[in-house]
Amino acid sequence: MNAAAWTCLLLPLASTVLITVLGGAISRRTAGWISTLSSGAAFAAAVVVFVEMLSRSPEDRSETSTAYNWLVAGNFKVGFSILTDPLSVFMMLIVTGVGSLIVAYSLGYMDGDDEERRYFAYMSLFVFSMLLLVQGGNLLFLLIGWGLVGLSSYLLIGFWHERPSAVAAAKKAFIMNAVGDATMALAFFLLIQKTGSLDFEVVFAKAGGLSQTVLVLVALGLLGGAVAKSAQLPLQTWLPDAMEGPTPVSALIHAATMVTAGVYLIVRTHPLFELAPNVQDTAAVLGTLTLLIAGLIALVQTDIKRVIAYSTMSQIGYMFLGAGIGAYANAMFLLMAHAFFKALLFLGAGIVIHALGGEQDIRKMGGLRKLMPKTWWAMLVGGLALAGMPPLSGFFAKDSIIAATLGREDWFGYVLFAAAIAGTFLTGLYTFRMLFVVFGGEQSAYVREHPPHAARDRLVEWSMGLTVAVLAVLAAFGGWIQFANVWTPITDWLRPVAEPLVEATGGQEAIASICAVAFGLAGIGVAWWIYSARRAAAPRAWAVLEHKFYFDELYNGLFYWPAVALSRVLDWTVEGPIVNGSIVGVADLTRRAGGWFRELQTGLVRVYAFALAAGLAVLILVFIAVR
Amino acid sequence: MLGPDTAAYLIVAAFLFTTGALGVLIRRNPLIVLLSLEIMLNGANLALIAFSRHFANGDGQIFALAVMAVAASEVVVGLGLIVAMARKNLALDVDKFSSLRG
Repeated sequence: MNAAAWTCLLLPLASTVLITVLGGAISRRTAGWISTLSSGAAFAAAVVVFVEMLSRSPEDRSETSTAYNWLVAGNFKVGFSILTDPLSVFMMLIVTGVGSLIVAYSLGYMDGDDEERRYFAYMSLFVFSMLLLVQGGNLLFLLIGWGLVGLSSYLLIGFWHERPSAVAAAKKAFIMNAVGDATMALAFFLLIQKTGSLDFEVVFAKAGGLSQTVLVLVALGLLGGAVAKSAQLPLQTWLPDAMEGPTPVSALIHAATMVTAGVYLIVRTHPLFELAPNVQDTAAVLGTLTLLIAGLIALVQTDIKRVIAYSTMSQIGYMFLGAGIGAYANAMFLLMAHAFFKALLFLGAGIVIHALGGEQDIRKMGGLRKLMPKTWWAMLVGGLALAGMPPLSGFFAKDSIIAATLGREDWFGYVLFAAAIAGTFLTGLYTFRMLFVVFGGEQSAYVREHPPHAARDRLVEWSMGLTVAVLAVLAAFGGWIQFANVWTPITDWLRPVAEPLVEATGGQEAIASICAVAFGLAGIGVAWWIYSARRAAAPRAWAVLEHKFYFDELYNGLFYWPAVALSRVLDWTVEGPIVNGSIVGVADLTRRAGGWFRELQTGLVRVYAFALAAGLAVLILVFIAVR
Repeated sequence: MLGPDTAAYLIVAAFLFTTGALGVLIRRNPLIVLLSLEIMLNGANLALIAFSRHFANGDGQIFALAVMAVAASEVVVGLGLIVAMARKNLALDVDKFSSLRG
């Protein structure tokens, strides 16, 4: 089991190193194949781990394997170790499975790009980082994976580095993530000081004896990291801008890696969160707020990728809600289903963008259903799954979280329930607004002028078509592996790692499902009424939505402009006159002195001789006078 | 002690030295400047020898011989330079050579 787990972790890293070292010695397509095959092999290794773990009894499924002592300082020891347990295997399967499909899709999507080799090296690095994050055997290696995920997302978002907007988006993502990394690191420092270890078991065992203040601080630090990585309020602004990267990168960030890391972190460290219930409730509240706000903003976005990006924020909000109220297995279930249908939606959108020669504005699209029927069906499956329609995967996954809010049976749970149901209405509305505008109606002028062109060759066609088909099947049927209260393999599988705090009864499940489906259908109906059937005039978008609730403006006002103002003042008062002035002054004085002394160097021998004679005369006079 | 007083020698030596110094400062022909330099050295030599006789000590005479050797080598170098200048048809005027660029 350990050998397979290590193989799974190290294969993508080997691929990165191989592509980087070989450089120009291999063709671009070969680089793509190396990356695809290594991800596929990592998936195979993850399956091997899974099968081996199935044969063990549920109590015996957790194992830590240490390669060597990585860091020793007095009593504090950290080994380079990986933890293989049901939760990490679950994540490994999603990361490598969906990840390798997306890398395979990139073979076609990126075909002909100037820097394909660099792209595939980064993609493999991204998969490796995420695997290190989920497989890390202690909190320090989790943090290393956490940081590497931030780095690889930075590299990939800014992949088209000749575009200033892509570079700015990459920096924004990195800085926002760095805020979360910092709060997490602070939480870990506190843990090292109080418990003397970063191993999961030791920390969880000793956490019960810590004071409430310490526990709240630690949980808040972890929550800060989770919120930044998963793009939840109040650190959510980087995610929409991250759409500047190539479309498969967006799919990888949103589906397989990165944004789900925050949910994983909460589930992984749930003993710490459970000891600080207020912080865990905060996570649920933040998730709920995010799912509403992101849903509202998604209603007015005009970039096809940004609509999907806001839907990701919204769905991650559901996962935070689930993890926050202690429905860990349900959150992980939605994480899996979301990986399927979100990858499907992004890759489908990628086909549309690819076919239209890079156009992303949905206002210029329209009537694509007849021209791209297969893509329409794939996107429809993804959209229905996202809106939580039965019997697609989103229905089973999302409704179980909504039911779990009822399972709390207190006013807090009921408020969350109402908000989550409102969220399903928004989800149906914004998803089908996008689908109807892009695929429905008459062909727009832009589409008539730029008819979708056929794929360049078979590889491109197959790599993009086949992966989307596989994901469509997964998005449609992936939810069937768990049917609440009747057939619950995921809950049972994760029970040894994360025992759920709330479990909904059958009646609550039914109420939640009926409400969610009804409101989802209502959203779809409104979208149909406005954007498809009647083509009624859409209500004018509120300015507050178009400005994304002014978060960017708020952060500019709070952090950016004060920093700029402070820099200006320091520039005028310190940098200009003191730092710069002193250096310029010294240089100026030297040059002016040089100018004066240069006048003495006439080059005339007579002058020098006279200076000698005159000096001698003066000396003689001085000697005589002194005597 | 035969001959004039030491003071007389020193006066002549001072006269020679001043004549040479004025020549170096005033004349522009490098040949004359070199010649004036030699006169200055000889003025100094005369003073050395006069003092050597005054104190009945041979050191001054030895030193004067060393100065003559140096002066001879200096003339060789200086004249070589002047000949080189003349061959290049450069004006024989020290004031024209005020730049170090080759």
